[in-house]
Amino acid sequence: MPLINNKVGDDGTVGKDKALVDGKALVDSLIKVVACYRVLATCVGGCTDSLQLRDELRQTREKAQRLAMAIRSHLTSHLRDKSLPEEQRKEMEILWVGFSSSLELLHVDMCKVFNMGDIFSLSKKETRVQNGLQGGGSEVAARALSVPDLNQPQSTSLPAEFESHERSTMEKDISQLDHMIDDMEMKVNVLRWMVEPHGPQYPDPLSSTDSASLLSVDEEQPGHQHLHQRRKLFVLLLLVAVVLVVATISICIVFFS
Amino acid sequence: MTIRNTLQDHGQRYRPRMASLKKSEKVLLEMQDPKTGLKSQPQRLVITTIPHAITGEDIIAWLADRFQVNTQEARSFGSMLVAFGYIYPLQDHKRLVIKPDASLYRFQTPYFWPTQLLPVEDTDYAIYLAKRNIRKKGILEMHEQEHYNRLHKWMNHKWDFIVMQAKEQYRAAKERKKPDRVVFDCQERAYWVVHRPPPGTVSAMDYGLDRQIDPNSDEAATPDFYERIMIFTQQSIMRPRVKSSVSIGALVKYCATYNNHDPFLSNCLPSNPWITDDVTFWTLNMPCVEIPTKMRVERWTFSFAELLSDTRGRDDFRLFLKKEFSGENLAFWEACEDLKWGKAASIKEKAEHIYKTFLARGAPRWINIDGKTMEVTVKGLKHPHRYVLDPAQTHIYMLMKKDSYGRYQKSPVFKDTVKKAICPDEHRFSGPQLEQNYKKRRPSLSPIILRQMEQEQRAKMAANIDITQLCRFTTPVPHLAVYSGFTDYPTATASPSLTFLAHTPACPSPISVGLDSTSVSERRVEEAEGDGNPAARAPVGGNVSRSRMALSLRRLLKGGCTPATMFASLSPKCHSAAGTSSRIQPIGPDQPSQAPPRRIGNFFQIKVDIPPECRIYPIESEDEEEESRAAFRGGVGAKEIICPWESLTTHNGTG
Repeated sequence: MPLINNKVGDDGTVGKDKALVDGKALVDSLIKVVACYRVLATCVGGCTDSLQLRDELRQTREKAQRLAMAIRSHLTSHLRDKSLPEEQRKEMEILWVGFSSSLELLHVDMCKVFNMGDIFSLSKKETRVQNGLQGGGSEVAARALSVPDLNQPQSTSLPAEFESHERSTMEKDISQLDHMIDDMEMKVNVLRWMVEPHGPQYPDPLSSTDSASLLSVDEEQPGHQHLHQRRKLFVLLLLVAVVLVVATISICIVFFS
Repeated sequence: MTIRNTLQDHGQRYRPRMASLKKSEKVLLEMQDPKTGLKSQPQRLVITTIPHAITGEDIIAWLADRFQVNTQEARSFGSMLVAFGYIYPLQDHKRLVIKPDASLYRFQTPYFWPTQLLPVEDTDYAIYLAKRNIRKKGILEMHEQEHYNRLHKWMNHKWDFIVMQAKEQYRAAKERKKPDRVVFDCQERAYWVVHRPPPGTVSAMDYGLDRQIDPNSDEAATPDFYERIMIFTQQSIMRPRVKSSVSIGALVKYCATYNNHDPFLSNCLPSNPWITDDVTFWTLNMPCVEIPTKMRVERWTFSFAELLSDTRGRDDFRLFLKKEFSGENLAFWEACEDLKWGKAASIKEKAEHIYKTFLARGAPRWINIDGKTMEVTVKGLKHPHRYVLDPAQTHIYMLMKKDSYGRYQKSPVFKDTVKKAICPDEHRFSGPQLEQNYKKRRPSLSPIILRQMEQEQRAKMAANIDITQLCRFTTPVPHLAVYSGFTDYPTATASPSLTFLAHTPACPSPISVGLDSTSVSERRVEEAEGDGNPAARAPVGGNVSRSRMALSLRRLLKGGCTPATMFASLSPKCHSAAGTSSRIQPIGPDQPSQAPPRRIGNFFQIKVDIPPECRIYPIESEDEEEESRAAFRGGVGAKEIICPWESLTTHNGTG
């Protein structure tokens, strides 16, 4: 019996699907990098601000820009393709919305870091805001750059002309991002309000089993956490006791019957 | 989603300067100085300790020392810094004030400092709320839930992105150590309390409307720019100047007079609601309150403008004028105000009404203005615009100010008001009571509801007029009208206002009182007809509101053809020649040459000389009035009050 191949895999569709998957992966990583950049940016100007932090920021930013370039070429080429089937176009548009929103967030964060660099120059160590942070952002940067560990050579000395060089680079990058955003708007006509996302209404609560969730930020009731823990322990013990009792009873029954 | 618009767009979309932010930043940086700045202490939580916590009293002491001010001011300044979000409280995080005790605060990280350049985006808020939803213990409050739902509706197209970004930020933050995570959460929460305040509080970052000019852009030095500077300086040179002794003297006098009345500069009784959160002061000083406060009544004596601008004062003045039977001045003035500030579409109609009621020869509520002004006004009324009645209004205003105002201040009406005015005791709230007051704050009535209530009241007043309106004029009256129908008048209305008042509630609402003020004439006319029902006088004329004016004027016209002012002079109080409201002199050459009827000491007989051309007949639209008019004036050559701009042929030389 000849194998009736019902699934006629059209090369074109496979290619397009792959493009979609690729695009999604790229956009997801951009979103991740942008989130990490934001978290790092909150440390700028604080007591943990250092050359290392600025370096991490720079690296994260560069990664984001590389990703942005890649996504831009990828998505523009696909969205300008008139022969794209409808569902694929919809997916692409969702990716597009995600991409442009990430770029906007990145732009705002870069502007903020740039302005803060004005006030909190690395050379003047006295003007650091005591914001209560203790650790640096190395882990976050590692996450952003998708490396398990960020092993930076601890350079304590400030290279000459570092600040001005940094600032000019940042300025250039910001304007480049600006142009990219404007460019995108010109080239690809995506009606944002027509895009329908397919996510859940509320984000899924992450099942975090770590103790972070137990550390409440609500400092008005610090004793609350103790109570919560105690209650959980109590319930657990009760359960265990019940199970033991049931086991002993069943053993007795078996033993005596 | 912001799309930077490079086109020249003339909309208002720039945030204002906000210079206070830059200055606050400098102060913040000074506070960080290890030697001269604030000393911090570690904050102990359940599991960890977090450094850099400062106490409220330390902050206040430092500010007082640095700026050489007293504690109260340092406290206000500190509260301002907290309200902007540069310092956030660790306990009671929703209340952005500095407490002068050992409560803890921390500095906000510069990323979350408020800036003028970058507005706070709703996208960020949506991400923050989504993040709160992710955390197991993150429960959104009511207003946050509302925001969340609203943002979900309006930003639905990027909801995937928002959820993903929230997850990624959460995971990224989890990479850090516990104390840092706690600090970051506190910082973010404090940031959003400042920029999306919970209901009942005000964000310090509210700046009103957006501006048209970008304050961050440099103004280009174009020729146009310099031209504007030149024009401005030229005009400054040409401006008329006043001697400084005069102007400074006026300023000093103003300050001395109003010093005690200013809630900012002196204690307002019972207490300043902005400070103590107790609204008694506002309820006691509402526009239509029946018993005003002593301070308010005192302000009425400062100037005539003060009296008129205060609604309650105006009502009092109207009551006084009603007793003096000269209410048409105030009615005219109010009608002019209404014309000036009302809708453009209604200007023509209102101008017509005013002319027919107040200015035309033989108008029911004729006002006494000099010939020149009358000429100018009537000429202007041909093409009515908003300010056409300004000269006449000014004239009447000065008349009232120079004459009636003085008499008002000596009148029993005013003296009675002064006696009845209340002086509330000062509140003395303790700390916990103040907290209670803060919690008990409620929003006041919405202005929409207030307006509806006002309209309902007006409609009620108007309805009242309809019910009690009487007009029966069947017998024609000869040219020389002799009104002897005052037999029952004095008995029934020995003091007309009092009788009327007897039928109103103990404290008549100013509106109804105002309505009655100019009804006297009509009453008398109706008395003349033998209608002995003084109580059922319809309040006519002198209306507070514009919408009723048309209705009431029609009633008045129906009720009596004779100008009210003719009878105004019959008031026992103002029979003197100085009666401004009475028609003492003829207005102009066209006006009737006879002197207006004067009160000869009793109510009983009045001779009225009315030349034929002064007969007043309403125009066709007001049919009912026609017959009453005709009945009253006799059938000699009925002429209508036609506004001069309508036709210049029927009236000879009116316009």
